[in-house]
Amino acid sequence: MIKNQIELLVALQDLDIMLQELDEVMKLGFDMQQEGKEKLEGGRNELIEKINKPLVGLYERLRARYKRAIVPVIDDTCSGCFMKLPTYLITLAQRDQEVITCEGCGRILYWI
Amino acid sequence: MEFAEILPYFSEKRFIAELQATTKQGALEELADKFVDSDLIRNRDILIEMLQRRESVGSTGIGHGIAIPHGRTTATAELTVAFGKTSAGIDWNSIDKEPVKLIFLIVAPPSEEKNKYLPMLGTLVEFLSQEKNRERLLNTQTFEEFKQILTD
Ligand SMILES: [Zn+2]
Repeated sequence: MIKNQIELLVALQDLDIMLQELDEVMKLGFDMQQEGKEKLEGGRNELIEKINKPLVGLYERLRARYKRAIVPVIDDTCSGCFMKLPTYLITLAQRDQEVITCEGCGRILYWI
Repeated sequence: MEFAEILPYFSEKRFIAELQATTKQGALEELADKFVDSDLIRNRDILIEMLQRRESVGSTGIGHGIAIPHGRTTATAELTVAFGKTSAGIDWNSIDKEPVKLIFLIVAPPSEEKNKYLPMLGTLVEFLSQEKNRERLLNTQTFEEFKQILTD
């Protein structure tokens, strides 16, 4: 269940990045439907309804502070602040039962 | 960005000379599987979700039988491309309504140090705007031939 929450958060961040970059991408020669942007915004609202309110709050706060709220874990390291994660966090993450944040920077961690 | 500069982002592991898929959704899934198989992405569903959402904004079929589905996802750490070809053609709801025969799937992380994602997308569009490049790609059977076309 919580694993789904993490996946939904990741989908939300991917969508937010898409929205931010849409204009630049279209300039390269892609076609956009007239209601293209509204579709993404509608999808965003639908996603948010599926995510626990405190998590959405955390996501928005992190997004205001950093460019990315959720960062991948690469080689047991937070790719936001490059802090090596303690072993107990890695074990916890393997169970995919909790949303885990970095102890160094507070960003939400995602295991690729 | 030079055409040859995009070559390192391709791999034989993500090269499909003849796609099995006959639909847009099927082709996206078949190409997405190549990222999972080469350990670039653990969660295929997240990638598919992002790609579908991108298509809902507007088709990534840019005409002349080309589709370049693309996007950034938190589920990957590297900028990479998969290539697939289908001689039968797939309906992609393209600008010119032509069926798609050459598909380039570009996947990028949320941010990259070298910021190559958008330049690469632009370079690929430019490369494929040349008819001779499209013709040659349609006739490739192997990854070696494919690499040759990009470097020529
Ligand atoms: Zn961190």
